[in-house]
Amino acid sequence: MNTMDELLNEVVPQEDLERFEKKYNHELELDGEVTTETKFEYSFCLVRSRYTNDIRKGIMILEELARTHPDGRRDYIYYLAFGNARIKEYTSGLKYCRAFLDIESNDQVRSLESEFQEYIKKQSDKEVAKGMAVAGGAALVLGGILGLGIAMAKNKQKREKK
Amino acid sequence: MADRAIKLLVIGESGVGKSSLIRRFVENKFDENHDVTIGMDFKSKVMNVDGIDYKVALWDTAGAERFRSLTPSFYRKALGAILVYDITNRDSLVKLEAWLAELDSYSDNPNIAIIVVGNKIDQERLVDREEGRKFARKHRALFIETSAKCDQFVSDVFKDVVEKIVSSEYFNNGNGSAGLDIASDRDLEESASTCYC
Repeated sequence: MNTMDELLNEVVPQEDLERFEKKYNHELELDGEVTTETKFEYSFCLVRSRYTNDIRKGIMILEELARTHPDGRRDYIYYLAFGNARIKEYTSGLKYCRAFLDIESNDQVRSLESEFQEYIKKQSDKEVAKGMAVAGGAALVLGGILGLGIAMAKNKQKREKK
Repeated sequence: MADRAIKLLVIGESGVGKSSLIRRFVENKFDENHDVTIGMDFKSKVMNVDGIDYKVALWDTAGAERFRSLTPSFYRKALGAILVYDITNRDSLVKLEAWLAELDSYSDNPNIAIIVVGNKIDQERLVDREEGRKFARKHRALFIETSAKCDQFVSDVFKDVVEKIVSSEYFNNGNGSAGLDIASDRDLEESASTCYC
């Protein structure tokens, strides 16, 4: 049973996303800037959206937070890895996991890390398989040409005998 | 076969041992230097009650303040809630009142089964067993004291709440409740509060 899938497949309720989006925009319009808390709430919803564009936006906000607000960095880095997992950016996701684990040992991050490693391995296995298929195809084509050549030669022999 | 899934929620203040209880129950492990949970975590375990397998999904919430406004969406569709406090920290029991209020306003299940858990009985007690029991009774919740560290009564937490759920009306799809023997009133009064692990 893959427990990571359950977390990654969970989708933010639309009303949550809208509520925190409204709060974010409201602060932006009223004060010209958004509090760290609101930024985090909004990005936490965005990275759990079903839409890639939302997730990317969430990742952007989290990247900014990770730079400007060191106190909450472990939360930001975890959700950066999480967001990248949801848009299948496994290599960058893995980078965030490693960055986290360099600082702190953590079970949640470790299971995310092994998820990334598994996917990356699966992907490269697929590419190797694809490569073999291409090579195999070439052999078939080559074989076909050779075979055709032999057949033609035989035909020629037959005709010459007549 | 129909998927008999039960979603359980684990809530309470930061550091009371929510993740440790889950880890002990699911993986039979304990780590003294617990990691502070980030946002939400998830683990699952198949539990057999009266010959029927249930897939129990355990949603572990961060106790940290900054996630307070963000985790209620996970309350939805939960059939049971495990409210954890630390018997060496009175405030963590007092705060359960607020967690219950939160549960009240965000849960979409009026019949949600609740169990109150006083954790860390391997340590020196600051909250009487009776206080926890009273709190649980007031909120019509089950009650138990545990030690995730020494593996005392941890599996009973999950067993008690799951048995309550499967015996209740809203989990009676096609299967009569006859024959279900609820042992959740089992008295654990005599439980030792010392352990040697």
